[in-house]
Amino acid sequence: MPTMSGLYLFKQCPRLVPPVIDAAKCNIQLISRSLYTVPNETLEKQRTSPLNRNPELRKQSKHRVLNSKEVSEFRDRLPEFLPNPNPEHRDRISEILERQDMVNRRRNIDIPEFYVGSILAVTIADKYAPGKDGRFVGICIHREEHGLRHKFILRNVIDKQGVEIMYEMYNPLILKIEVLKQEKRLDDSLLYLRDCPLEYSYIPQDLKGQMIHKGVQVPVNKTKVPLGPRPWSQRWDRFDLKGVEEFTDWRSEKARIRALESRQHPQVAKPWEKVDLIKHYKENINPVEAEEIYGEVDKDSKNWKND
Amino acid sequence: MAAKGLFNVQCKLLICDVGRILEPNNSISRPLLCYQQNRGKRIARPSKIAPRPWFVRKKATPHMKYLTEENKELLDNVALHQYKNQPSPLRDEPWPRNEWTPSVRRAGLLGVKIGVQPQWKKDGTRILCQLIQIVDNHVIRYTPPEEYQKSLGYKPMSPTCYGSLVVGAMSTHPWNYSKAYHNLFLEAGVPPKRKLTRFLITPDAAIQPGTPLSVHHFKVGQYVNCSAKTIARGFQGVMKRWGFSGGPASHGSTKFHRRPGSISSGMDRGIVKGKKMPGWMGNDWRTLSNVKIWRINTKYNVLYVSVGIPGPHHGYVRINDSVTHKIKQKYVEAGKQFPMPTYYEDDATEPYPEDIYDEELFPMTENSITFEQTE
Repeated sequence: MPTMSGLYLFKQCPRLVPPVIDAAKCNIQLISRSLYTVPNETLEKQRTSPLNRNPELRKQSKHRVLNSKEVSEFRDRLPEFLPNPNPEHRDRISEILERQDMVNRRRNIDIPEFYVGSILAVTIADKYAPGKDGRFVGICIHREEHGLRHKFILRNVIDKQGVEIMYEMYNPLILKIEVLKQEKRLDDSLLYLRDCPLEYSYIPQDLKGQMIHKGVQVPVNKTKVPLGPRPWSQRWDRFDLKGVEEFTDWRSEKARIRALESRQHPQVAKPWEKVDLIKHYKENINPVEAEEIYGEVDKDSKNWKND
Repeated sequence: MAAKGLFNVQCKLLICDVGRILEPNNSISRPLLCYQQNRGKRIARPSKIAPRPWFVRKKATPHMKYLTEENKELLDNVALHQYKNQPSPLRDEPWPRNEWTPSVRRAGLLGVKIGVQPQWKKDGTRILCQLIQIVDNHVIRYTPPEEYQKSLGYKPMSPTCYGSLVVGAMSTHPWNYSKAYHNLFLEAGVPPKRKLTRFLITPDAAIQPGTPLSVHHFKVGQYVNCSAKTIARGFQGVMKRWGFSGGPASHGSTKFHRRPGSISSGMDRGIVKGKKMPGWMGNDWRTLSNVKIWRINTKYNVLYVSVGIPGPHHGYVRINDSVTHKIKQKYVEAGKQFPMPTYYEDDATEPYPEDIYDEELFPMTENSITFEQTE
């Protein structure tokens, strides 16, 4: 009977346990790296130790305690305030500085609440445009990245041609962001609109904005979109999409069955990912840290600019 | 080789509780009592990890794990009390201060890489900035050039005008270090530091031991040299280490996809010294010269510099003034002066702002950028 070491567990169930290397088999490069780097925990100990001269590093901010429902609302509304959950890039002080920059930017420009699926109009300063600025109306199909790198993509149809523009949210060139229609869609990302008929991503450039009622739940648009003919930019039949009609235009009956079988293959469907607690823990910021971050944001949001 | 095996056993037994091992019904793990010989080749590779021979032994035997938590707290309080009440060497008269000239070589700082963030210039272009935090730096020791030339660290061909100045970062819990390591910090009167480095400086830029160094040592818009250890990658082949093209993927090549090819020609000449071959990659000192300082955060002691500094996240970085002749000439033409030998807290006439920006960089506290119309 072998011992229950980390390596043995990893061989038995590779998806559930991260690869823990036994100390005896530890590579030399891992040992040598510890000589010229500081682990995150020890650096944090140095900053907070009373022997340190700088008292600013020891301070802890006081804010109102948020309950779990408020935190989940904040996660939905301001997702970019959470840092990158990858433990190799995390650092307390750099996250504080990044958040400070974002907050300072929000004091000077009104960045309204919007979601994937809502219709926006963005004006930016452009050196080469005739009026030194440009306005673009489109549907927001994607939001990604954390902190100052946060960006969103607008899509529209101009002259029977799909056009997409990616904006960085905290770029100082942005003059104004308007929400013409505030709503959600059934999916978190609408990148499949690239492979749909053009009429589903067309928005007139002179669209007038609707009234947005504050404090009311954001409506969900439940329209289902048909996919265009293959080939697509990604294999949409393998995704679990709710806002897409079932694809019927297969080349033959045999091709349809083959696609269905390949979708149910364990390497594609990955049924263990629903149960994988460690994967979920690694890819998300835990609720305790999220509460601290959003508590500070909530405290500062009274000074933000609101038109 | 049996003697070697026995020696290992004795060493390990001394650390353990001897009385427990000698009991009949004990449970010792097997590798403690292994007498197996080590056969085969024992190649002595030149270790990059090995410290210099004149270094003092750093770590002491860890006694802390045998203490109760109350006793640990008591020891912490004793350490705090000791270092707060210790007479500082700075109470004596300060050393003379000279003016900055292009021939002066100043001391540097020891920082830690803490992340990369985007920033924007005033014309709207996006740049990436490397954040370096300076945590609790102090000057530990200064040796003038005459004494430095007698020391073991001096290389015989190097110039004779430089003395050495040791800078330490991060004051630590003093109980885990050896007595010899503690003695290094007696002159400076500070708790033992986690990391030490040495800078070669001219004697007119000498700093008194015990003075704290902060981010104000540098100025915004200045160019610096950053040196750090690259990421260790272990034993690597010739394609990854030197960028050789390797062999073809197909067309009948067998076992020749990632090989270096011919090493030399002719039996008499042999292989040329310094031939690029497979071996240990990374873990070397590399410097990135002339890096611009874009922004300084005075509250948390953070430098925003241009990106591209070697080493992993949370790696140590040595930061020094640039030595390029053209850049120094520019400083002289602009009439720039740098704090000599370093910035003291009494120098400040006005309180500093929290963030100091470069002229080209866009401050995040301002309104958005607009361009004026020209006809």
